Amino acid sequence: MDLSRVFFTGNSTMNLERMPNEEKLSLCRRYYLGGFAFLPFLWLVNVLWFFKEAFLKPAYTEQPQIKSYIKKSALGLILWVAVLTTWITIFQHFRARWGEVGDYLSFTIPLGTA
Amino acid sequence: MTFLYIYIYIYIYIYICLYMLKGLMFLCVLCSSVEQKIYVVLNETVPCVRLLNATHQIGCQSSISGDTGVLHVLETESDLDWILSSGPHPPYMVIMETAFFNRSVMMRMKNSSRVAGVAVIISKTGLADNFSPHTTCPNQNTGVYSESYGSDLANCNGTVWNPLGNGLSYEDFSFPVFALKDENQTQVLRKCYEDHNQRVNGSAPQYPLCAMQLFSHMHAVTDTVTCMRRTDLQNRFSINPEVLCDPLSDFNVWTSTRPLNNSAKGHAADESVVIAATRLDGRSFFWEQAPAAEGTVSGIVTLLATIQALYPVTQEAPPPRNIFFSFFQGEAFDYIGSSKMVYDMEKNDFVIDMNNVHSMLEIGQVGLLSGRSLWMHSDPVSRQNKSVDTESAAAGLKLTVDHPSVSQPLPPSSFQRFLRARRIPGLVLADHNTSFTNRYYESMYDDAENLNVTYPPGLTPDEQLVYETDAAKSLAEVATLVARSLYLQAGGEENNLNNITADPKIVAQLLYGFLVQKNNSWFRSLLPPEVTKKGVNSILSEICVYPPVTRFVQYILANLTGTVTNLTESQCQNPSELSTENKDLFSYFWVSGPASVNGTREPFCVRASVRLSKAVSPAFELLEYGSRNYSTWTESRWKSIRARIFLVASRELEMLTLGVGVAVLLLSLLVTYFISSKAELLFSSARETPTTTY
Repeated sequence: MDLSRVFFTGNSTMNLERMPNEEKLSLCRRYYLGGFAFLPFLWLVNVLWFFKEAFLKPAYTEQPQIKSYIKKSALGLILWVAVLTTWITIFQHFRARWGEVGDYLSFTIPLGTA
Repeated sequence: MTFLYIYIYIYIYIYICLYMLKGLMFLCVLCSSVEQKIYVVLNETVPCVRLLNATHQIGCQSSISGDTGVLHVLETESDLDWILSSGPHPPYMVIMETAFFNRSVMMRMKNSSRVAGVAVIISKTGLADNFSPHTTCPNQNTGVYSESYGSDLANCNGTVWNPLGNGLSYEDFSFPVFALKDENQTQVLRKCYEDHNQRVNGSAPQYPLCAMQLFSHMHAVTDTVTCMRRTDLQNRFSINPEVLCDPLSDFNVWTSTRPLNNSAKGHAADESVVIAATRLDGRSFFWEQAPAAEGTVSGIVTLLATIQALYPVTQEAPPPRNIFFSFFQGEAFDYIGSSKMVYDMEKNDFVIDMNNVHSMLEIGQVGLLSGRSLWMHSDPVSRQNKSVDTESAAAGLKLTVDHPSVSQPLPPSSFQRFLRARRIPGLVLADHNTSFTNRYYESMYDDAENLNVTYPPGLTPDEQLVYETDAAKSLAEVATLVARSLYLQAGGEENNLNNITADPKIVAQLLYGFLVQKNNSWFRSLLPPEVTKKGVNSILSEICVYPPVTRFVQYILANLTGTVTNLTESQCQNPSELSTENKDLFSYFWVSGPASVNGTREPFCVRASVRLSKAVSPAFELLEYGSRNYSTWTESRWKSIRARIFLVASRELEMLTLGVGVAVLLLSLLVTYFISSKAELLFSSARETPTTTY
């Protein structure tokens, strides 16, 4: 009994093995373009999902384009991670010192600590 | 990956079973839950809470999941060294004997990182000769003396009023401080300490050790401005708004010899009023613990006795001026009540305004006279000759009246707030000349004993209620003096003065009620019936000091100055329906009445001109949370305040348990993987043999 069927009972075409190459390319492009709408997780999923396809499989016609999409997604992802990490570090460190501005920027303010 | 799913299923099943079992145990009354076997909950907790003003926070704070520390009793200096430097099991939870609760020890605790919290034993054994956690110069920034008015008298440059003050109440502690008032509970703690934590022959005690956890997490932080801003933000934008702090607020109580029309605000025509005032509140280091016997109760009792003495004469031979009696609440925190009343008067939002005020007489701390003279303090900057005539009032009394030196400023008093608004003549009466005679000002030890209110042994509560102590007689003398002075000040005739005497029995009953036992027969008879059924402590108050005193004073005044009417209960609640009753001039109270022989009471309706006026700082009405002119004190909110003790194991044992658990997890994963991969070998060989034999 294949338990993987129990859990992934959704769209069975999620399995890339059975997709034709043009569909793979269009999926990759869709995820790449979608990530520009302030959705870096789409780029992360893109990189993780198509990494094997782009770099570890034997060459096929659509592979260079998929490779370029993956590289650009990875670049965007790294940029996002850098920006977010910097901002989060600054905010966590300085929020208490910012007083009023810090309170207006915060969604939830911890009780009992500055 | 199938073995992983099996594994997860098994563990979820075990987890759910354990939770159901735990839930069953809580429901099951006979079986004892594991939690009860571990923790001993301490029931009577007296915490220290956080208060904030425009710029600072004071009080104590614990972490959100409580502060835990190994118990250690602080009895000697070597204990202090053990806690602060040499003990091997920091952080420590200090059980502090009374003698060590002073500024130097607490400051050392504050600066040490090895102290998780402090529990102070409150008792009279080992109590120092004086202890006042208040500042040396109470309310120095909100009084009348500043750079522009009597600058050489500001900030106690002239006289230090509370020289014994150590300022502990105004320090900010980052660990919880609780008070241990119950002797039995303290015994439980000592026993736990002696059983497990005691040092044997100078060597460190071994694990497991007795530890205590204190929870008193306060929500507000930094100062009032921040706290109110965050509360506003929460109210506007959050799905689940939470109020972080509340302004200190309660009510002032006022009454007058001639009723004033409560619905007519602003200047009262043809009314010249003499104000007689005192304060209603006290405070201490801990929350809602403020006996304030000499600091406050002496003033309250004296003014109540004054009212009782004056009332019959002012009805028979009314003086030209009205006498307005006022009890101000919240005076310890930068004059909340009096600043609000002055603010209302200036805004024409009160029954009288500043133009109606002729003069003012305030009763300060008057309890510790003991044969000495009563001092009349006045303001040197605005002094006018013969502001209040007391010499003729004092004639015939055993009291002597004295004036301090001409350059001495006023002590901290509500009269200072009135002077800030207008230079009216006035006096503050006190039993001290230059600094307070009260050695326990605004502390938990300012109780009946401090005021010399002690009863001979062997008296029943009802006998104690009416027993006239020396303190009662002394306060009655002061009340007589005040009453006569007020009568003269209001323009009354001198030949009526001998009819004005305060009754020492009433003073004795008031002292007993406020200082010893609130739940006595006299108080029960003058309070409403629903309160007497539940218990005399259930009356509301938001100001966290001396809880129900506002209501008590209101009902006592109704009893002393009111007239009994024959209205029914529903008529008492809605007197405006009757044409003979006037809701603008009077208030109507439905009170229990005295208990008859067989224990029943017949309630009746009392009509009196006693009113409450809101006592919240004008800073909160004006939304100036950082105001320098008005009080900005707020009290933080909290979720739960509790304490419990339990045994703790050493850190090594905890790590070992965790390590063993992780190892068991990994081992079981390994075994499951092994069994799963060799499944065909292990489980199919049993099946093959029957087929071959066949």
